Amino acid sequence: MSQSRRTFLKWSATVAGAAGLGSLPDQALHANPLPVSKPRDVGRAPAPLNILILGGTGFTGPEQVEYALARGHRVTLFNRNSTRPDFFKGRVAEELVGDLSSDTSALAGKQFDVVIDNPTTFPAWVRNAAKHLAGNTKHYMFISTTSVYSDQSIIGLNEQSPTHPMPADLDPYTLDPANSRRYYGALKVRAEQEVEKHYPGINTVIRPCLIVGPLDRTDRFTYWPARIDEGGEVLAPDTPDDPCQFIDSRDLAEWMIRMAEAREFGLYNAIGPAKPMTIAEMLYGVKAITTAGAQFTWVPWEFLQTQGVRPWRHMTVWQPPYGRTAGYQRRSSTKSIAKGLTFRPLAVTAKDTLDWHRTRPQKDQDATLNGEINGLAMSREAEVLAAWKASRTEGTGDD
Amino acid sequence: MTDRRSFLQRAGAAAGALGLGALPRPGYAAVPDERATRARSVDRAPESLSILVIGGTGFTGPEQVEHALARGHRVTVINRNRTRPDFFKGNAQVEQLVGDLNADMSALRGRTFDAVLDIPTTAPYWVRNVAQYMKGHTKHYTFISTISVYADNRTAGADESAPTLPMPADLDPFTPDPAARGRYYGQLKAFCEGFVKETYPESLIIRPGLIVGPLDRSDRFTYWPVRIDKGGEVMAPGDPTDPVQFIDSRDLAEWTIRMIEAKATGTYNATGPDKPLTIAEMLYGIKAVTTAGAQFTWVPADFLAEHEVRGWRHMPVWVPQTPDTAGFSTRSTAKAVASGLTFRPLAVTAKETLDWAATRTPEQQKALEDGAVAGISMAREAEVLAAWHARKRSGSN
Repeated sequence: MSQSRRTFLKWSATVAGAAGLGSLPDQALHANPLPVSKPRDVGRAPAPLNILILGGTGFTGPEQVEYALARGHRVTLFNRNSTRPDFFKGRVAEELVGDLSSDTSALAGKQFDVVIDNPTTFPAWVRNAAKHLAGNTKHYMFISTTSVYSDQSIIGLNEQSPTHPMPADLDPYTLDPANSRRYYGALKVRAEQEVEKHYPGINTVIRPCLIVGPLDRTDRFTYWPARIDEGGEVLAPDTPDDPCQFIDSRDLAEWMIRMAEAREFGLYNAIGPAKPMTIAEMLYGVKAITTAGAQFTWVPWEFLQTQGVRPWRHMTVWQPPYGRTAGYQRRSSTKSIAKGLTFRPLAVTAKDTLDWHRTRPQKDQDATLNGEINGLAMSREAEVLAAWKASRTEGTGDD
Repeated sequence: MTDRRSFLQRAGAAAGALGLGALPRPGYAAVPDERATRARSVDRAPESLSILVIGGTGFTGPEQVEHALARGHRVTVINRNRTRPDFFKGNAQVEQLVGDLNADMSALRGRTFDAVLDIPTTAPYWVRNVAQYMKGHTKHYTFISTISVYADNRTAGADESAPTLPMPADLDPFTPDPAARGRYYGQLKAFCEGFVKETYPESLIIRPGLIVGPLDRSDRFTYWPVRIDKGGEVMAPGDPTDPVQFIDSRDLAEWTIRMIEAKATGTYNATGPDKPLTIAEMLYGIKAVTTAGAQFTWVPADFLAEHEVRGWRHMPVWVPQTPDTAGFSTRSTAKAVASGLTFRPLAVTAKETLDWAATRTPEQQKALEDGAVAGISMAREAEVLAAWHARKRSGSN
């Protein structure tokens, strides 16, 4: 599986370098071995950098590696070699094996122009890496998250908005990993602070919103292309005008490498698209790359709640645009856009994601339509739609 | 001409592949012509047919010729060699005959074909002119008619059995009057259909809806990708759930050739897509191939009418929903779909149309921006939007 993912990725990366939709992957090609040696046509960086990527084999990491290589940089990886073993074997300058939670000794004595820290959730991981890297890199880039923000009701939330405090009675360095989910935002805030402590003034902290695209195993965007490509009646959340935000992993990865090249420091939201997008624009845009003729039925949030259909988990990407999530899909990315963050057309993201999804093992594809990770099972969707119609025909008198 | 032709051939090669996979890249127009010689990657037909294409250099015609060649057929074209002179010159696979449907078609004398594909005919005397030479000399005759033949648009979901327009009693269908061709377009096409069916025992009548895609000079779909690609506030017509129908010229062309290969006969609506599509799905789908971040403002049909913004002409593809138009964008296409008509994804049609639009002459691009052919100028759009916002503000007081 990792082989097919890798092959897909490399090929997809090749075409992503071309502009726009011009060279989206062709469904038919997935049946055949894909060309892997063709470099991205993205132009070389003026000066090659010596880049260390922590992680690099997950979701956004591989896109960073491909883009950095295409731009002519020297790439070193540091990871457990366990998520996707030997994923970039022979293609990067160095592959260092270690574990941010325990053994970072492979970093001893190394020097880099830039370090990109993808996987860190825990402040201790930053500290462990800093034992060897503090003073030995000119630039430290840290992928944080928009989950750091404590008040998601703020519309136009920006980098100065308040973040989650760490509960006073918890030691962030020894926190039980089992609590990582519960304190995800607070831990990322503390990790950001740890980054500033070890790399003062030479760090870039990037807070992406929902990252989407090929290689994403969370199904949080993939659900929609997969579901819409099945056709039939599709349950759509609340009202068509509700806002939505997400960022293609390739847009994020490529922008980060460009930020590294430009030696840009500071704190940035990384959120797309540049102009407001509605959930209807997203869903209809996804439909535009399919031919199954999906028909959307918009069901109000009040009714979805009575059916136990949850935002984000079942109706992925979407959050209610009022109450405590009023600002969840209306955050500001003005600062990063001013620094060159760009966005692929939605059709490219949707098409590439769907094509990648079709290369996944059948059980993963089934899991998506069964809503096992995220999304709503098609069987459950049909029940909710039937209940919605029944409620309409019964007539409450206020329709 | 060379530009169009090489565009077409490249787009044709791309269209042969599946889906979005091989869309022409932006800027392809600057690509040297050697790529233009690449054949479409479609399977060869089991049997090579000799096909006479009447016209063939307009909008759908070139797609049909290209697809027929890719399928291994032998193509003869007859036209005035005027719309796009020497369009197929140098293509050894295409025999070029010169003739004029209004006058001399004698180049067809003594010729026989497996199939004739009649694309440009509006006037019954054109069909009669061809019939002098082709009656009894072709095994199959395909006539591209129009969905405008129907007597009314009042019935949602109407199929091919719906009544067609009768010829006005005082109009001689065989009198060549160019003015009547515009005014009585539907009537004349309906009459042509009858003439074709009487003349050729094996006839195929295809009634396309709005044909869209690269090479379309009518701007009736192209307006939307071009406008949306400019970003800003875009005026969207009527209700987001209003229905729309159209067909990509490549889908029409490729299906037509397949129908000819199958020796299919009868009458078929040809529009798309196969499942209902709303104007919002169309506009948002087009937005999905752009990055300008267009923001749509939906303006109700009544307000548009007050401001002389007309459906179809100024707001292309869309028509206001009234009892008289209930069937306009909801024609049944089930018969054609059952016979193998397929549809490209909207994103492909939108992207390729947008890319082609960027290769048009400056005059043509300006005409589109001025709303001279179809669509509305951005200046006028801004005025109507301002009036709409003012109305909403005063209405809420």
